[in-house]
Amino acid sequence: MLDILPQLLVNGIITGTLLAIPAIGFTAIFAVLRFPNFAVASHATIGAFAGYAANVWLGLPAELSLVAAFLVAGLVGVVSDEIALRPLRPYGALTTAIASIALTIVLENVVRLIFGNGLRGYDLPLVRDWRVWDIRIGPQQIENFALALILMAVVFAALRFSRIGKAMRAVADNPALAELKGIDPVRIGRLTAFFGMGLVGAGGMLLGLGTSIDPLTGFRFILPIFAAAVVGGLGSIPGAALGAMVVGLGEEVALLVLSPAYKSAVGFMAIVLVLTFRPRGLLGERAY
Amino acid sequence: MIGTCRPTRRAALAGLAAALAAPSIVRAQEGAIRFGTLTPLTGTGGTYGPAMRDAVIGAVRAVNANGGLLGRQIQIVSEDTQTSPEAAVRAARKLIDVDGVAAIMGTWASSVTTAVAPLCWESKTMLFTVSGADSITQLPHQGFIARTQPNSQLQIEVASRFMVDQGGTSFAWIGPQTPFAQSSIDILTAVAAEAGIEVESLIYEAEKSTYRSEVDTILRSDPDFIQLGGYAADSTVLLRDLWQAGYEGMIIGPAYAVNDSVVEALPAEVLEGVFTWEGAPAIDSEAYANVQQILGVETVDPYSAQTYDHANLAMLAIGKAGASSGQAIHDHLREISQGSGQATGSAVSGLGVLPGDVNYDGASGPCDFDEIGDITGTQFLFKRFENGAPVEFERV
Amino acid sequence: MLSYLLATLTFAGIYGMLALGLNVIWGMTGMINLGLAGYFAVGAYASALLTTAAGLPILVGAAIGIAAAAVTGALTARLTLKLRGDYLAIVTLGFGELIRLIAANEIWLTNGSDGIPGIPGPFRSSLSPLEFNALFAAITVFAVAFCWALTERLRRSPYGRALRAIREDETAAAVAGKKVGAMKVQAFALGAALLGLAGVLYAHFTSYIAPDVFRPLLTIYIFLSLTAGGTGNPTGAVLGAVIVVVILEGSRFAEAILPAMSGAGAAALREITIGVLLIVIMRLRPEGLLAERPPKPLGATR
Repeated sequence: MLDILPQLLVNGIITGTLLAIPAIGFTAIFAVLRFPNFAVASHATIGAFAGYAANVWLGLPAELSLVAAFLVAGLVGVVSDEIALRPLRPYGALTTAIASIALTIVLENVVRLIFGNGLRGYDLPLVRDWRVWDIRIGPQQIENFALALILMAVVFAALRFSRIGKAMRAVADNPALAELKGIDPVRIGRLTAFFGMGLVGAGGMLLGLGTSIDPLTGFRFILPIFAAAVVGGLGSIPGAALGAMVVGLGEEVALLVLSPAYKSAVGFMAIVLVLTFRPRGLLGERAY
Repeated sequence: MIGTCRPTRRAALAGLAAALAAPSIVRAQEGAIRFGTLTPLTGTGGTYGPAMRDAVIGAVRAVNANGGLLGRQIQIVSEDTQTSPEAAVRAARKLIDVDGVAAIMGTWASSVTTAVAPLCWESKTMLFTVSGADSITQLPHQGFIARTQPNSQLQIEVASRFMVDQGGTSFAWIGPQTPFAQSSIDILTAVAAEAGIEVESLIYEAEKSTYRSEVDTILRSDPDFIQLGGYAADSTVLLRDLWQAGYEGMIIGPAYAVNDSVVEALPAEVLEGVFTWEGAPAIDSEAYANVQQILGVETVDPYSAQTYDHANLAMLAIGKAGASSGQAIHDHLREISQGSGQATGSAVSGLGVLPGDVNYDGASGPCDFDEIGDITGTQFLFKRFENGAPVEFERV
Repeated sequence: MLSYLLATLTFAGIYGMLALGLNVIWGMTGMINLGLAGYFAVGAYASALLTTAAGLPILVGAAIGIAAAAVTGALTARLTLKLRGDYLAIVTLGFGELIRLIAANEIWLTNGSDGIPGIPGPFRSSLSPLEFNALFAAITVFAVAFCWALTERLRRSPYGRALRAIREDETAAAVAGKKVGAMKVQAFALGAALLGLAGVLYAHFTSYIAPDVFRPLLTIYIFLSLTAGGTGNPTGAVLGAVIVVVILEGSRFAEAILPAMSGAGAAALREITIGVLLIVIMRLRPEGLLAERPPKPLGATR
């Protein structure tokens, strides 16, 4: 049984990297706006479909389609947040979270209204996997992996060096102090909703690239996305990346000891295990 | 505090009354015969439900255009199961109690069918289903269930023998957890054992975005023939993962799992050589051509073919009975579905023969039912994908 | 038509019972529970198995079903005592899915995804479907009324005040000498018991349960019920549940008036309507239609 462990590790690292993108988006929104936004499910779907439209209808290559996925999901994210969620934030994080659930039902069905229920596949050249020392890995996977890494690098650089990124971190760490310093929290909130949901959308497309997509695509990803964010520490962006790796690896390697029918339970067990020892996640909750 | 909230409550009650009074508007078309479609339009079955509903509507529209049934028009009321037994029970109550449908057609998930079945037999409403779980026709349904899907035991047996006949030497079964997952594995194992073939199996969790590790696990036993046990969404992912993993052996899956939407989503080379099986219609059947035309597709999904048959069977039974109740369909179903009457592939042509004897042969097969509502005498059609399209390979 | 109204009333009652249970856990004590479908499932499965496979009377099955859900709830609370709200939200969400996976995969116990058919209902065999629906609607309404009175009384009691204090500020409540840990476990167990009772009602009403019943969609509806009705307030919980069921059922009739659409399109439009209506209600009344007000005998906590 152990002979496939290296293969499972490779699969897990790739899954984990892809998972990290939407998990970072989710946790960034939490860090600045202070509520778990369950609408990530529909935004991942929207990103996947926006990327599909760009790729198949407009004939753009995957890399450019990814940009479309980011922009459309981000735009929908900021607009829907403005209409449905922002007015509710004064009434508490959980009220807003519940509203985000209603929002995700609405958006999922808008996708269904436009695209129907059929399965759709991206227009990508399909290549057989390579085999390196008996471990298989696909060129598409490597590209997705690289794209995810680049996205993450951009996120970290932006948070560290750009003015907006610094302002976001300031709001996340101490909103009152940030406001005193003249940072407009509403504007930062909008930017976070845009970039956060943009990342979720891009992640939705990256996760969807290797499969086929339908209006339920985002729903299939949310448990591992939430698990990743919680394991790493809600609101911690490096934590989300680390958490995604833990969940991604955990889900694949668990096949050695657990029936694959219980795959979703792995994320849950990781959460319980980590939170038992570290109630604030692996890296705590500082945004960055 | 109770005093202060009264206006709100009254408003809410008024709203409730208004919402529930609405059906009187809908009932304007009195005198129509009503059928309900109860297909999955959202949720995991959502890839199938819309076309299943359209096939019923198409069949009914043809009869309506031809003067209707017993001099009355037929009206279709469509509800969504949301692929949830809870939502489906609420929807079925509405179809039965408010719309007074004579038959409910197209329940897909086995759990939905089992949940809805008691409502149907208690209210003497006929239930036509495409669910495959063996347990369904064993319910105490008093004849109010008719299933057009060959039961899973029969299906898996036929597919497994096909795998042996094609010369496979090492089998694998991979599919999600369903009511027939374990029994499928057991049947395949038994059939393979007679030929001295080993079977490896893996039950995965449906609704995942990749099955790479599951594929790696199942390929360790080096199978040369793999049977798929899932539906369209997960089969798409699996077929792609198997191809990318460099699997060169044979694959077979039910035709409802490797259907048009899978063809749409996958490049042709991934599907090349994949086998499918399904209950077979008569060659060049009128019914099959009708469904092709209604749905505007070349390859009809087996589920849509079946719901087309549901509608035609119900209409012919009503025509035979001269009455439009669920009980009438129940009593006369077998008189028009089997026997030595004139073979017919649609209600329109069949109604012309009545009151003479007709035998409906449908788009999904001959549609002959045994006493518990399972179909009998099904031929099976095996197809093989060539250049991205399924081509007839063999009939059994 | 009458049969439909009675069945809809029963479903509204079951939703109301779920909302009441959630209200104890979340509304009154402040512990969010996104896994409520799991406790609903535990109650339903325990009672269903005991009355079918073990052949026990319905009342015994019901009592054990409620107790099993309560114990599960107490265990969950015990394990998650230290977690803050947002973490608890996601842990319980995972828990609900775990229960569903167990129900689907442990075939020896739960009959797997085939589910359990033929669950007995009170006097079902000797009543017509209409009479049975009427009887069950009465039972459900009575059960909801009883649990409403129970939780309303709890809310007004010193115990309810202490729960509210925990919800508002756990540390302050602990400083004031409340046994925070024990009380949270008790409140979770009580709420889970109501969720379990809702499961019992569902199982014996519809006569069939399967893992698919306990998908997260139901949890979503209940959360929307409670939020729309007013968290913390049992009356709001029941009202919210009624509103959600009216929206769910009422939208079927709206659909019939609309011009013909594709199946998926019409279904999507129906769900969009449901979601938008709920968002509108929350926008207009963010604290729910019946916002929680401190009950009479209370002055200081809020």
